[in-house]
Amino acid sequence: MRTSSMRRDCLIALIVFAALAALPMLWPSHGVSDFVIRLAAFGIFATSLNMLVGYAGLESFGHGLFFGLGAYSFALAMQRLGTSIPAALLLTVLLSAAVAGIVGAICVRLKEIYFAFLTLAFQMLLHSLIIAWTPLTGGDQGLTGGVPRPPFLGIRLDAPYHLYLFSAGLLLLCLLLMRHIVQSPFGYTLRLIRDNPARATSLGINVWAMRLAAFVIAGAFGSLGGVVMSLFVSGAFPDFAYWTISGEAIFMIMLGGTTLFLGPVAGAVMLLLLNDVVTKLTEHYGLVLGLIILLFALGLRKGLADYLAELWRERSARRLAMPLPAAPFAEPSNKLSGE
Amino acid sequence: MLSIENLSKSFGGVVAIRDVSLNFTPGSLTAVIGPNGAGKTTFFNLIMGSLLPDQGRILLGGENIAGLPTPQIVRRGIARAFQIASIFPSLTVREALLAAVNAQRQQHAKLLARFPLAASRDRAQEIMHMVGLAMKADMVSRSLSHGDQKLLDIALALVLEPRVLLLDEPTAGMGPEERWLMIDTVHRLWEREKMTLVFIEHDMDIVFKIAQSIAVLSYGRVLAEGTPAAIRQHPAVIEAYLGSEYAGRA
Amino acid sequence: MDLPALANCVTSLSCIVTQSTSGLIIGMLLFLVAAGVSLIFGVLKVINFAHGSFYMLGAYLVLTVYGLSDSFLLAVIAAALGVAVFGLLFERLIISRVYGSQVLMQLLVCYGVILIMDDLVKIIWGPEFKSLGMPAAFQKPPYLLGGGVVPVYYLFLILLTLLIAVALGLAITRTRLGKIVRAVAINPGMVSALGINTGYVYAGVFMLGGLLAGLAGALAAPVRSIVSGMGLSVVVESFIVTVIGGMGSVAGALVGSLLIGLVRSFGTIGFPLFTEGLMFLLMAVVLVLKPSGLFGREG
Repeated sequence: MRTSSMRRDCLIALIVFAALAALPMLWPSHGVSDFVIRLAAFGIFATSLNMLVGYAGLESFGHGLFFGLGAYSFALAMQRLGTSIPAALLLTVLLSAAVAGIVGAICVRLKEIYFAFLTLAFQMLLHSLIIAWTPLTGGDQGLTGGVPRPPFLGIRLDAPYHLYLFSAGLLLLCLLLMRHIVQSPFGYTLRLIRDNPARATSLGINVWAMRLAAFVIAGAFGSLGGVVMSLFVSGAFPDFAYWTISGEAIFMIMLGGTTLFLGPVAGAVMLLLLNDVVTKLTEHYGLVLGLIILLFALGLRKGLADYLAELWRERSARRLAMPLPAAPFAEPSNKLSGE
Repeated sequence: MLSIENLSKSFGGVVAIRDVSLNFTPGSLTAVIGPNGAGKTTFFNLIMGSLLPDQGRILLGGENIAGLPTPQIVRRGIARAFQIASIFPSLTVREALLAAVNAQRQQHAKLLARFPLAASRDRAQEIMHMVGLAMKADMVSRSLSHGDQKLLDIALALVLEPRVLLLDEPTAGMGPEERWLMIDTVHRLWEREKMTLVFIEHDMDIVFKIAQSIAVLSYGRVLAEGTPAAIRQHPAVIEAYLGSEYAGRA
Repeated sequence: MDLPALANCVTSLSCIVTQSTSGLIIGMLLFLVAAGVSLIFGVLKVINFAHGSFYMLGAYLVLTVYGLSDSFLLAVIAAALGVAVFGLLFERLIISRVYGSQVLMQLLVCYGVILIMDDLVKIIWGPEFKSLGMPAAFQKPPYLLGGGVVPVYYLFLILLTLLIAVALGLAITRTRLGKIVRAVAINPGMVSALGINTGYVYAGVFMLGGLLAGLAGALAAPVRSIVSGMGLSVVVESFIVTVIGGMGSVAGALVGSLLIGLVRSFGTIGFPLFTEGLMFLLMAVVLVLKPSGLFGREG
């Protein structure tokens, strides 16, 4: 039985936070701290998507809806309402949860392909609204004019190091919370539903309500990824709500694998690095990324981390010459692998 | 305990269950038999609310549960195991049972606690012992043998502390030896838990050995019902289903 | 929202005619793409998210062949055939390898192909908007119908696609090949047991889908700007059409496409900000009331 206590998780998070806080002093580079901030945005976002895909078995293709919604509602709340940053954060999370509640209520009862496309359709709807509603959103030029950053609790987000620490802290906090959720009784109920919804129903579980709850939680967390991004670029752009954001998050999950909780974060690291390298070398980013996706999808047929975990499991199984046990820290499912 | 009155169901003109009335007394052990396509599994699906009946009543302790959604029927005390073991392939036996115990106790939506809840552990352990899966608690369900998967399926139903347990061919796909082990387990559970047990079975040796009463379905209708002795003598059953082989055998 | 403008339009015959014709050509072009998406889904249970790339490729091919040959007819035929071949290659080399995989895996593969195609057309044809211009044969004064303007090309396009729709519908319901396709959709195992190679059927459906989408791109070229990424909105609309019309139904695809076309053209007058929203609303209503679509089989 897995023994992963909240206390241990918190301890790990604290150590990582301390290490990240020291990083800019040891390695003072804009590139590095910018990377961590972007990683915070996409790490939160991809992990929240994996709560749906990997744990609840809900294959959303429109999760970018919440990334865009988070970025725009946070930036607009700061610009138009002049609220404090915590209030804007709260507003963004509540709004995203409400939107997720409405979208989810319509979508989660649908069969997989319908679910995937209907979520995408809602994302496209937001994208077209952003483009069309120019007076509010700035249309296809994006929301410019900067995001005001009044200090709160001694945190001044206009200082680069503060923004860096805030992003890293938010990433770790969100990961801790999401880790806790997937390890809660609710998280295991989602696994039951993922594995066998009909059986879960006959155990007395209201599958629709649980899926909806997962969708709302994932949407709320996903929006925080957008918040970090809007702070990073000091605005919001229609691309944040474009379907490619969802595609990239799916690819992150697939790169890192769905079976480890931190797989999506590893995937985000890999894709962001890849992104930086490829854009430096060539302007044909799409071509190269597309080829890499095909290489992975058709060649490996599963995430890199899943692949390595499986290899490791097989080796240790052979060594022990006994029935294949589950890796102690792995979710033994094979989502996104082609079976 | 469970009483079915004039239940009917058809699928686009094809009648699957026609005016079925049956009564299952508390603590009884009933076998439902009948040729393939007689409507046995459909009958279970109707009781569980997986299908909506066209007409008729399903009374559980006097309350009509026909038309209720499955989770509510489950809460009122009916559980089932499936013909093809319906389990959670990627979870271990222990995880699946712990999560099922949470569901039974209405604690499956808890966000603040950590899984597993200390209070669920004993119950999950007890059920693993009851069905004989305690040694395999940490095996991933999909790697269990066919028979163990069926046992796990039954264990998942037992978690619900059912007053009525429906087993759809508990011995399907098993070899002779495994069959009798399964039937022993089922019989032991029935004696111990004092529940109303209804099972679908094709093996007549098993049926006549353990069932207290037998209901014979044919083309969606109740052809006969009664004690094993009465069924053995029933002319219509002998002709339609059992064949002469079983007539008069002690 | 601009309801007065919409009210003005629907009370004026000329506006009705103009908007209806433009709605019809949107719908007809969409039909050619959606019919392929719907057939592929009906037979293979795969949503070909890369179908928009087929459409885009058709438009670019017609641009090149028309530039070389100066014959629009030749260019359209070449584009349709070229995309059919592309569809075949796409099916054999790529998508056939993820049949039976998770939906997200299939979408991811299509996403990869879209990224590649969008970049490739930029490399080959350049990143800027292109336009074909109206072919000489259609440069004639438009018809006037009740005060509304109907360009000659629009009429040609509507009639041609209508013809294709009828031919396709007959082919699916009346011919032996159509029967095999429908049988594969219902029970692939049974059909292959009868000695029919389902692999050929799958490849054939993708070729047909490619042919139709290539044709759509080619026919759209004179009236649309041609640009990398032009296929995406088309494929999402095709999906909406398939949901509204019912997966795998040609008649459903036609009705759904025309509905979407009309919603778009009248929607831009009444709800300029929310035209897309109207389409999604339409889809949501159908999903709630009849999940299998207007012409879909239950279950």
